[in-house]
Amino acid sequence: MADSAKSHDVPLDSSVPTASLESILCTEELQRRPSRPPDYEKENQALVKLVSALADSPTTIFRTLAETIQDITQCDSAGLSLLTTDGKTPHVDGKRFYWPAIAGMWNPHVGGGTPRNFGPCGDVLDQNRTLLFTHFERRYPYLMPVNPAAEECLLVPFYVDGKAVGTIWGIMHSDRRKFDAEDDRIMASLGKFASSAYQALIQIEDLKLQVAEREKAEAEVRELASGLEAKIRRLVEANVVGIVMWNLEGAITGANEAFLRMVQYDREDLASGRVRWTDLTPAEWRGHDERAVADLRTTGIFQSFEKEYFRKDGSRVPVLLGGALFEGSGNEGVAFVLDLSEQKRAESALRRSEAFLAEGQHLGQIGSFSWRVATDEITWSAELYRIYELEIGVPVTLELIHSRVHPEDVSLIEKMKMMDRAREGGHDFEWQYRLLMPDHSIKYMHAVAHATRDQDGQLEYIASVQDVTARKMAEEARDKARSELAYVARVMTLGTLTASIAHELTQPLSGIVTNASTCLRMLQTEPPEVEGARETARRTIRDGNRMSEVITRLRALFSKQEPTTESVNLNEVVLEVIALSIVELQKNRVMLCPELADGLPLVIGDRVQLQQVILNLLRNGSDAMSTVEDRPRQLLIRTERDEGDRVRLTVQDAGVGFDPQAADRLFDAFYTTKGDGMGIGLSVSRSIIEGHHGRLWATLNDGPGAAFSFSIPRASEGLARADGIRNIQVPAVTGPAAA
Amino acid sequence: MGAIDRLLVSVVDDDGSVRESLPDLLKQFGFAARAFSSALEFLASDCVDQTRCLLLDVAMPGMTGPELQQELIRRRQAIPIIFITADRDTIIRQRLIEQGAVECLFKPFSDTALLEAVNSVLHPKS
Repeated sequence: MADSAKSHDVPLDSSVPTASLESILCTEELQRRPSRPPDYEKENQALVKLVSALADSPTTIFRTLAETIQDITQCDSAGLSLLTTDGKTPHVDGKRFYWPAIAGMWNPHVGGGTPRNFGPCGDVLDQNRTLLFTHFERRYPYLMPVNPAAEECLLVPFYVDGKAVGTIWGIMHSDRRKFDAEDDRIMASLGKFASSAYQALIQIEDLKLQVAEREKAEAEVRELASGLEAKIRRLVEANVVGIVMWNLEGAITGANEAFLRMVQYDREDLASGRVRWTDLTPAEWRGHDERAVADLRTTGIFQSFEKEYFRKDGSRVPVLLGGALFEGSGNEGVAFVLDLSEQKRAESALRRSEAFLAEGQHLGQIGSFSWRVATDEITWSAELYRIYELEIGVPVTLELIHSRVHPEDVSLIEKMKMMDRAREGGHDFEWQYRLLMPDHSIKYMHAVAHATRDQDGQLEYIASVQDVTARKMAEEARDKARSELAYVARVMTLGTLTASIAHELTQPLSGIVTNASTCLRMLQTEPPEVEGARETARRTIRDGNRMSEVITRLRALFSKQEPTTESVNLNEVVLEVIALSIVELQKNRVMLCPELADGLPLVIGDRVQLQQVILNLLRNGSDAMSTVEDRPRQLLIRTERDEGDRVRLTVQDAGVGFDPQAADRLFDAFYTTKGDGMGIGLSVSRSIIEGHHGRLWATLNDGPGAAFSFSIPRASEGLARADGIRNIQVPAVTGPAAA
Repeated sequence: MGAIDRLLVSVVDDDGSVRESLPDLLKQFGFAARAFSSALEFLASDCVDQTRCLLLDVAMPGMTGPELQQELIRRRQAIPIIFITADRDTIIRQRLIEQGAVECLFKPFSDTALLEAVNSVLHPKS
């Protein structure tokens, strides 16, 4: 009934002439018209229907009521009007009527309504009786758009607690039937019912609201309670902390496993009542307990404090204790107990370790210092003074430090721009350097610095410095021994390669002899074959040079010269080694498959040492296949770029492989799986590769056999290193120590 | 003498300098000469039937000289064989001769030693 609603939103125009109330009323007609007899059975059925509708679904009561009126009065439209303030819910103080339900032809107008003080419903309430209208739109023009027009409208008031709240009504849109006295009676009857229904509905809505609120409150309480309960239960059962329930007299009424574990009692002890907190407390702690009890009596809680308990065996456990009385109990309470044994142990360990630290530094010849970069505030440990052979307590300056550092390393340290780096960044760094002592002795130092920021955000280095002189000496001795060993290994390896070397030498020699013979014969013919002779002579010279190269290589291999450092093309080294070992490999029926990467970066190293390693790996691969008959004795040698600017070489055989358990021992000196080996080949090879800042390792193939690989840095990085920190760290990168 | 009338001496050696130099010398001796880098290359060629003498390297990748010798015996190709080897192993030399080789020359060998060995095959009476 949007049109109707709109119409009374508009102020009424008093200038429009309207019909008088009397002219639209015909209530008296009801008594004059012949009345139909009452149909009590139908009336009863209608009421029963209404009651059950009310019981089943109170919200549809208005619709059921409208339908019932229409049915029982046989009218065209029927509905009810209720006072409202918001247009939606019934309200006795409402200033207009709204139509919550309409049955019949006016049904599309549900939701519409009429003003309280200028409309048919208002007239009914004002006159406090049933009224019969005819064409009320003549007086109330806002009802004109409400179609179809009402020929007659019978309205009956209803009251709740003596207050008018609305009307129920029936409408005839034509004169096919006139309302009569029986309609008046039955509408009055329904009016009474409507009153009860309205009341019931209000009460039900109110009740529902109350119930909902109560349920909500109860749910909140339940949730709160169960949440708390669950949390407490979890706390107790988790046994993270000890939980104990007690009374002020000294009894322990309950405890969780964690508490029982702390004091080493069991559930039976607890059940027997023998475990009393007063007995668990050593005499010197009773005072603390008494203060806690006093707090409990006044405030209900006691602040946590540390104390000790006796365990069942009489030993003591340090604990942290805190607790409270149960609300409203006055005597019983709960406490949490934390076992502090670990913390106490850690604390005392810390105290001990602090004491040991100084001694440890002395024993390990490790000093430490801190350096606040902004202020150049340097603090040394006592041991560091001892290492530098300075009087303990002398103020430390960078100048003082430099006066002790070996002149060669000072320049290197300056090159490193250590201080600049330190001042700029927050990097950790590690370096080695030497000290030149006043007596001209040299100390080797290894330092590790860690950058931190103090609470003011200032950069501070904490560093430890170790005197590694003794270790250095031992390393040098070891490296020298290794170097000797490497020589022995080299000679031994080469000894077994005699056949190969002979072959390598005799092939060009054979060519030389044959070519020279041919040349002579060509010159002896008549006429001399000068052109052929010249060609054979050229070959002779070429093969002679080829031989000379071979001899040079062999001399290098056999000689015990100091290693040299140069840029090396690993592929060339591989080809040289292949040339040296091909006959040996052929003799062992090994198929050698080189896979040499194009454009392989150069490496920095000692050519002869690298030859030796590769030779060794090829020999090992060949030897590993000496008993293989059921598959090709394929030996693959591959060079490739490796990650991290490195070059990798792999020698993969199809041999017997190795015991994975022994993988670590493969590289040990004198470990061998070969009957005729000395077991120094791989050990020496690894030393050599490590001397090249590389890594040598072995893996088993998916199929038969094993692969040995090494990976060494490419030249550019190696050259950079030669100028960098690493050079200080390992001054003998390429010296005998590296072998 | 036309090349067609010359007796064919074949050389099988994996070493390039041998393949390069020996045929020239053999031609100086008056023979036709062909060189092959492997036993299989020789077996696959059309020279097997015409070869009157075979100068055969002992150690070669793939099929070795002695293995080629056995293969020729199996094929009933009775080509006289002179082994040439860089390995001065008299025991092996002895064995090779026992197994039917005409001679086994240690590299480097002189032109006269070679000519003598070849002539012993191709000119037994001279």
